[in-house]
Amino acid sequence: MRQFFSIARATALEMASEPLALLLTLSAMALAVLAPIMHYHQFGEASRMARDAGLSALLVFGIAYAVFCTVKSVRREIDSGTLEMALAHPVSRAGFFLAKLTGAALAYLVFAVTVTAVSVTTVNGAEIGGRIAAKVGDVATVFGPSRVCAISAIVVPTVLGAVLNRFARFRFTLTATVLALAISLVGMIPYIDGSLVWRFLPVAAVLTLPAFVFISASAAFAVKWRENAATSAAGVLFLVSVPLLGNYYLSDILSKGGSLPLHHLGISFAATIPMVAAFVMLGVHLFEGRDVDRT
Amino acid sequence: MVENVIELQGVEKTFRDFWLRPTVKAVAGLDLTVARGEVFGLLGPNGSGKSTTIKMILGLLSPSAGSVRLFGLSPRSVAARQRLGYLPELSYLHPFLTAKETLKYYAGLCNLDRRTAKERTSQLLAMVGLEDVANRAVGGFSKGMARRVALAASLIGKPELLVLDEPTSGLDPVSTNEVKTLVKTLAAGGMTILMTSHLLGDAEDVCSRIMIVNHGKSVAEGKIGEIGSSLNDFFLAKVGEGRDFEVAPFLK
Repeated sequence: MRQFFSIARATALEMASEPLALLLTLSAMALAVLAPIMHYHQFGEASRMARDAGLSALLVFGIAYAVFCTVKSVRREIDSGTLEMALAHPVSRAGFFLAKLTGAALAYLVFAVTVTAVSVTTVNGAEIGGRIAAKVGDVATVFGPSRVCAISAIVVPTVLGAVLNRFARFRFTLTATVLALAISLVGMIPYIDGSLVWRFLPVAAVLTLPAFVFISASAAFAVKWRENAATSAAGVLFLVSVPLLGNYYLSDILSKGGSLPLHHLGISFAATIPMVAAFVMLGVHLFEGRDVDRT
Repeated sequence: MVENVIELQGVEKTFRDFWLRPTVKAVAGLDLTVARGEVFGLLGPNGSGKSTTIKMILGLLSPSAGSVRLFGLSPRSVAARQRLGYLPELSYLHPFLTAKETLKYYAGLCNLDRRTAKERTSQLLAMVGLEDVANRAVGGFSKGMARRVALAASLIGKPELLVLDEPTSGLDPVSTNEVKTLVKTLAAGGMTILMTSHLLGDAEDVCSRIMIVNHGKSVAEGKIGEIGSSLNDFFLAKVGEGRDFEVAPFLK
């Protein structure tokens, strides 16, 4: 168990320290926060736009995060030779692969929680802003206090991360990622009592499920192929699965105060498990069979 | 009876390309035994199959033919690798981890409890002289410093067998001397050591027995004291024939 935890922790740390991971997280947050602002005519639907932008960012950027960061992490382990060092220790190959996947999933969860929290803050802000706008005009939707908080979640971590890196030698990417998560969660606190949070979270949770399929698939591909080939294979998988992804996108359920029936969450979860299991078994099989050198 | 820690019998390794066509035969029928407590040197020119042999002993590569036994077990078994430490030719480290985190990571892979891991991490960092930079990411370390971290990582599980692939590669003369002293001290404590080196003086200083490999085959094997001439002359006689550069035509 200690081995499993060590590998998972190192993988999660590595992925959270990856500049691409921070870029994808900030981009997803920016889309969630800015999409409703960028449209001049909102027709009083800023809240719906914020909701759709946030959930879309969670799905699309989440899959990109899963593919790029997992492939990079597995291939770096093979190509840099750290895998040789690790497997010269008393750790089974299957155990190593599963721990690596767990670490990748943990890093992805940091992304997912950050983007979800920012989206909740933005949607709530848009609703409050909308109510104010009904009285004073559209400007209030832009400068609503929640929107300021959501934008801060993007700007403050990068600036503070840079300052801490400059003066206290903190690792920039990791620090910025942790700060983005912390600020996003703090921004969501005022809304925890509101019903929207509890209606929004199950819908967001369903949208994280495809990412877990892509994490396991990307890891399996990366065991077999080099970075570009593995990423391309995951890209092909994404293209062929686009029609299926619609089944996970249940944002309309949130309209007019609706909420996701729990059995939907169960069905989505049950549909995802066999896909994840299939790719995990493929990855373990390939990993057990491969020679471990830098090829 | 002397226990053999490593046993290789008729081991071959052929690398293949994507279409499974053979590309290179790196090891061609190698027999090798290393007894408990020995410091064994595996010597040979570049591309002679030393690193491939070591990787088969570690269970990282599967032999195409023959058998490899580590402590009488398959090298892929976790029980065999529980007793093993490995320092690769290049210091493979996670660049984003600090020196202390790196050692804790490998302590975790050895299943050490938190207290033992902390204790050994401090001891080893002090041993390799990196206490002052323990909290700096190893990605920013010089080659020599990274080598020291890797050496400490290979010892964190207190192995019975230490496999060192070019242990002095990239080190300055002072550090090289420290590594040689360390190897001698570990061997005196009963640790079995298998090492490769291009620096024959290093092997001569620390090894009790050597094998010279060329083109994946053993061309000579014996105890250092029984070779007769110096190891350098012996090595050149075994693998250096016909390898002189023909400089004259180029200079004309």
